[in-house]
Amino acid sequence: MAEFSWDVRSPLDRALVAGPYGAQGEAGVALTEIRNFDLVQIMARRGKAADMARASKARFGAATPETPKAVGTADATLIWSGPDQFFVLSKGGRHGIEALASVFAGSAALSDQSHARVLISVSGQRARAMLAKLSSIDLHPYVFAIGSAAATSMDHTSVTLWRGGDRGGQAVFNLLVFSTFAESLWHTILDSAAEYGVTIAHSEELV
Amino acid sequence: MRIVCPFCGERELGEFTYLGDAKPQRPAPVAGEDAVYEYVYLRDNIAGSMSEHWYHGGGCRAWLKVTRNTLTHEISAVAPAAGAGAAKVGA
Ligand SMILES: [Zn+2]
Repeated sequence: MAEFSWDVRSPLDRALVAGPYGAQGEAGVALTEIRNFDLVQIMARRGKAADMARASKARFGAATPETPKAVGTADATLIWSGPDQFFVLSKGGRHGIEALASVFAGSAALSDQSHARVLISVSGQRARAMLAKLSSIDLHPYVFAIGSAAATSMDHTSVTLWRGGDRGGQAVFNLLVFSTFAESLWHTILDSAAEYGVTIAHSEELV
Repeated sequence: MRIVCPFCGERELGEFTYLGDAKPQRPAPVAGEDAVYEYVYLRDNIAGSMSEHWYHGGGCRAWLKVTRNTLTHEISAVAPAAGAGAAKVGA
């Protein structure tokens, strides 16, 4: 009988080439794929949205996002994904689906999306200019402040987009994309970013 | 054309899918064949304000009830369709 060794790999394993890309000189865009995260989608059962919100508050110590927002807690980020539903993004299994199952028993349906989404962080001086080519969302800081989120589309691909905390005084935009569409969107992002110069990396650190 | 999703805000048409007339109501099981025939097959061809179902598939994946003028594309109202989330925005 054949033996298999299952090897967990990022859907961007082949497409992502770390290093500089596009225009030379100081890079205007930094693209980082964040790997090995726990992502659980939580959707309220019928009529149980308030129970779900209570359970979430007790677990995370923060109010569940009820509008398009991303809420940072001590060791997880809660990201709105639609009416009465949100993602829990974390690391290290503390808020994996098994850990959360008992928390939301009776109030919500849980779905493990850890390997179903790719997480890409976009930053740099020209990040917003680059994203403007792909997104119809107004990402100006007056409109899309830290913690703003959107369920939207980029290049006809469904994404969950939110603005994380600034890094080095610059905005950081995070996007979750379905794994099977990640490579296609990645190439589109590279095409859009090439004129600004890009640094490409992957990381195990959530930001 | 842009649609103001009650959950997401204003979005371009490309994020939405049109389903059709939101008026027809499923007849009661005892309503008879004619009522079912009418519900399944017969549609008004409205020139003017029409209530329609749209799906925000490129966004929050909610069903919406949109009042649209079929002559001008002017949208006068958007509300969540009955079901999950509708209570959130008072519908
Ligand atoms: Zn929406």
